[in-house]
Order: sequence, then C-alpha cells, then structure tokens
Amino acid sequence: MKQFTKTISLFLLVLCFSIQAQEPIAVVVNKANPVDQLTRSELIDLFMGKYVAFPDDSKAMPVELKGENDLKVNFYQNLVGMPLSRVNAYWSRLRFTGRKRVAIFQANEADLVDYIIANEQAIGYVPQSLITEDLKVVYILNE
Amino acid sequence: MNKSGLVIRLAIVIVFTAVIVGLITTQLFYRFTFLNEQALGEQSINQLYNTVSPTASIASYLGDKELAEEVVNGLISNDIVTSAAIKTDVLMVKSDNYFKSSDTLEFVLFSPFQKERRVGVLLVKANKGYLAEKANKISATNTFVVAVEAFIITVISILVTYFVITRPILSIGKALHSISPGTNERIDKPTSHQHSEIGQLADDVNELLVKAEQQMLREKSLRNEVQVLELRFRMLFENSTSAIVLVEPQGDILLYNETFEKLIETLQLPLKKNYGNYLQDLFILKKELHEQIKIAFANNESATAELELISSREEKMWVQVVVTQLITDDYQENYQITLHDISKRKQQISLLDQKANYDSLTNLLNRQATEQHLKQLASAKNPFALIMMDLNDFKPINDIFGHDAGDEILIHVASQLLKNLRKADVLSRWGGDEFVIVLPDASKEEVINVCAKLSSALSKPLHLSQHNKSVFVTASMGISFFPDDEVELIELIRLADKAMYKVKKDKSVDKELYLAFASDMSKPASNSQPS
Repeated sequence: MKQFTKTISLFLLVLCFSIQAQEPIAVVVNKANPVDQLTRSELIDLFMGKYVAFPDDSKAMPVELKGENDLKVNFYQNLVGMPLSRVNAYWSRLRFTGRKRVAIFQANEADLVDYIIANEQAIGYVPQSLITEDLKVVYILNE
Repeated sequence: MNKSGLVIRLAIVIVFTAVIVGLITTQLFYRFTFLNEQALGEQSINQLYNTVSPTASIASYLGDKELAEEVVNGLISNDIVTSAAIKTDVLMVKSDNYFKSSDTLEFVLFSPFQKERRVGVLLVKANKGYLAEKANKISATNTFVVAVEAFIITVISILVTYFVITRPILSIGKALHSISPGTNERIDKPTSHQHSEIGQLADDVNELLVKAEQQMLREKSLRNEVQVLELRFRMLFENSTSAIVLVEPQGDILLYNETFEKLIETLQLPLKKNYGNYLQDLFILKKELHEQIKIAFANNESATAELELISSREEKMWVQVVVTQLITDDYQENYQITLHDISKRKQQISLLDQKANYDSLTNLLNRQATEQHLKQLASAKNPFALIMMDLNDFKPINDIFGHDAGDEILIHVASQLLKNLRKADVLSRWGGDEFVIVLPDASKEEVINVCAKLSSALSKPLHLSQHNKSVFVTASMGISFFPDDEVELIELIRLADKAMYKVKKDKSVDKELYLAFASDMSKPASNSQPS
C-alpha cells in the first residue's frame, strides 16, 4: 500500500512538471462571436472537419498555423492525443475521397491573432500568454 | 474358393473394419474441419475488421458516405463475407444483398479521436456456404486419402496374413489331409516358420503322427499275435478228436466243433440247437448224468460220467462225458461239455468180461461169474432158488460119439434151457455137464413148474448130423432155497448138489425121477453120503 502511494505521488509530481513545462493553449474566437464556450468534442469536430459551423449554426472558420509549429504540435497532441504526422495523414486520406478541408492557414501566431480579431467566424489556438482583450477564450487546453 | 475359408473371412473382416473406421474417421474429420473452418472464418472476419476499422471509424465519424462505401465494397470483395453494412446516426451504407438477420456480426465503431465516443456500427455477414464448401473440399480430400490408406492397409493386411499365416496353416492342413495316419509320412515345416508358432504347430503335428504310427504298429503286432493265437485255438478246437460243446444253462448250444457234428451224424440224429440241459437228450441214462453233475459241482469239480448214447444203430456208442462249469467275464454261467468216444474201450472191456465170465462153448455164465452173482444176491438178501443140474449118461455119449458130439449136445442143452427161463433167471455152466440155474424170488411150486418145463424141453431128441443118429438127453436136478435152506452159499450149493446126487441114485428105482429138494431129504438122508 505504501509502495502504491509512493508510485502515485511520483506520477503526480512528473505530471505537474510536464504541465509546468508547457504553457496552456487557449482556443479563442472573435470577441463579437456569440459562442462563449465550447466542449472538447465540439472543438474536435470543428478542427477535424466534422462540422463547419458553431453549435449555434453560425459558420465557423478554423485558423491553422502552417508547417510544423511547436504550438500546432502541442495543440493536436493535447486535443486528439495524436502526433501531427498522423493528423496530416488523416487529412491526406480524406483528400482522396474528395473531401476538402475548410481552414485558413497563417504563417505565425501573430498573423493568426490578427485574423481572428478581424474575422467574426474565425476560431484558433494561441498560447495563453498571447491572449489579448480582443480575443474571447472558449476553451483552454493543457490547464 | 471356400466361402467360410480363412482368407475370405479375414478379408471380409478387414474390409469391413476398414470401411467402418474410414466412415467414422471421415465423419469426425468433417466435423472437426467444419468447426475449424468456422473458427478460422470468424478469425478472418475479425482480422478484416481490424484492417478496416480505422477507415470505417473515420467514415462513421465524418458520416462520409463515399468512405463508408469504400469500406463495405472492400469487405464484400473477400470470399468469406457475403454482405456488409455501416450504420451511423446519419448514414446507412450497405451492400446490395445485405439484410438484417440473427447471424450478422456487429462491430461497434468509435471516433478515431475519442475512444469512448460511439460513432456507428459495422455489420458483417459471414459466408456460411463458402465455409461449408471449404470444409467439404478438405473433407473430400481427406476421405480420398483415408480410402486410399484403408485400401492399401487392407491389401497389405490380407497379403501379409495370407502369406505369413493363412497359407502356411493351409499347407499344413492340406498336407495333414493327404497323410494317412500310421505311416511314416510327415508334414514339411514351412520354410519361413522354422521358429514361429506355426512351425511349432507343424512339429506338434509330426510328433502326433509319430505317436500314431507307433500305436498303429503296436496294435498291428498285437492283432497279429491274437490272430495266430486264435488260429491255434481254432485248430485245437476243430481238430480235437473229442466232441466239444459250449452250452448255456438252459441247454442252448453256443459253440460246437466238427467232431460233435460228426458224432450227431453218426447217431443219425438231426442237428439241433438244444439237446436239453447238459445235452441230456443224447444219453440213455439222463439220471446218472444229473447225479454226477450234482455231486461234482457241489465240490467245485468237473463232472465225469460214462454214458451210452442214444443211437438207432446196432453198435452201441459209449462216451465219457466231462461237464465243466465256466464263468464268463460278465458273470454268466456256461458249460463246457466234452464227449470222449469210449465205445472201443467199452467193447474191449465187455469182450474181456465175456472171456472171464462166460463159458466159451455155450456162452453161458461160468462157475466163477455165477458164484459172484450168487454172492451179490446173498449180500442183497434177495431170496432165490438154486438148481443144480447134471446130465444123465453124458459120459458114454461123449465116449461113443466123440467130443465134438458132446459139445454139440451141451450147446443144444444150453439153448433149450435158455428158451424156458425168464429174463431175471440165471443159467450157468458150472463145469463139464453140470449146470446151475438161479431163480430169484421163486416159490417151490414155481420151481417145480420150471423144472418140469426144463425136463420136457431136454427130452426132445437131438439129431447128430455127423453120426446120423438121434440122441436123447435127460438131467437130474437138485434144488436148495436161499435163505430158507441155508444162508451160507457153499453149504447151499452143497445141499443142492447132494439133492441132485440123490436123484441120480434114486433113478435106478424110479426112472421118471428128475428132481429133488434139499429140504425134503435133509432128515431121512442125513446119514447117506454121495457116491
């Protein structure tokens, strides 16, 4: 029992360290967007291409970073538990069946923030540290 | 070929067993194969599911019809899948021949991103017919293999049993069949079975044959011995000069020899199966035979008797009869009767008897025999009259005409006297011209009568042919009675003699006188002596 408790406490310690090591990622929308909060499933459905609209049926436009950005990697890792390569493979497969991804690609985080501020339907992810007054946080990953 | 022969029977059993075992094996193998194929099919479907599950999950998650169709088409292109379908909240993609039934396999599809989120169901129907066909194919191959195997094993078994077991045994049997026991023939041991049980069998059979031969030889020699012995016994029995007869207690004849047959022929009797007890009907004196047998058997001896046989022939036949009691092995009483012909001996004896007791001239009893006879009568206390007779004037006749004439006269007298006497009476020539006549149980009157008859019989003239002259003979008779006159025989004879001389003496006075009784002259003539 004592051994078990020890193992559990050690595990928690490691977990705390990793969380500390990575900054939480915030999913943000335009301030004018009526959506205040999203569930994890709704978030996945939006980013993995199941839905192209918010739960209130207003059109949604996911904003994505180009390439293999660390934030992008972290985001998918935290959202669907998959490395980015697999997420890319998922999209590749869908492309063969004729399904096209609905998303806006931005080169960096700053451009991404700017786009969201400018577009009401946009939804994207930013590190917690980059949250401004102009953005509405609907979900926080890796809290 | 013999229907119940070993080879046929064995073949039937092996073929039958092979067929039965083959059928059972095939059936079992089919069941196993079928189950195995079913399990394999299920496993294959599971593997198929594993292969298509990521795509199916995505299709379900996105509700993508095209992707779902791709999955379904991919599935039904496999032989073991008849039909397939993907069902989600918003989508139902299925193959053409799909319909819902109890044997449809269901696989739950989850979201590719959230393992706990159900997004749809994959429905697959296994191809049962294909599985069964596959199982059948495998089983058919197996059945063929088993059949070939069974055939090969059967043929080999039959050949091996035929060449290794049946044929050697049959050859032994055949050899045994053609061998006649008791000869020096033996069975050949099969070359490939010098040390096997079949070889042992051949050895044992040969041993038995050796024993049989020895036994037969022994029996043969024994039989020969018995034959020789029997021949000798038969020779003894058949060539015996005595008649030998084996009879049962009731008199039935069991066995007789040739001599007996000849004897019956000689007696001019019919050959019968039974002549009464102990052949009694053959003998004149049956009583004596029975008495002798009674005495002898009481002493456990053979009975012996000399008996005269019944015969229609003139010549008398006498036999010595020996009756021996025989007890057979099964306790039956039989009698062996032997008849020795003693006729010749009897004849000789009677001839000797004649010579000793009879007068050769007159054939009358001589003095000695008469004395014997008198003694017998006396000892039996049998009363009798004794007549002493003497011929008168015989001496002159003898002197004148010679002895031959004398003899002729004596024979004449004897025959005349004999003619006038009873059978029980005894006439004897006492000596010279003296005769003695014994009359048993005779009274004085009877004696007088007899004497008168005798006297008159003598008075007939006798013609002497040689001398051509007739002569007359007269006689003087003296009579004494036993036991009235005298008990002592010598004295009795003396008395009769005396009375006779008295007649001779008184004849000169009375010519007609010819007899005198001793009792009449005892007193007055007591002093007078014969001259």
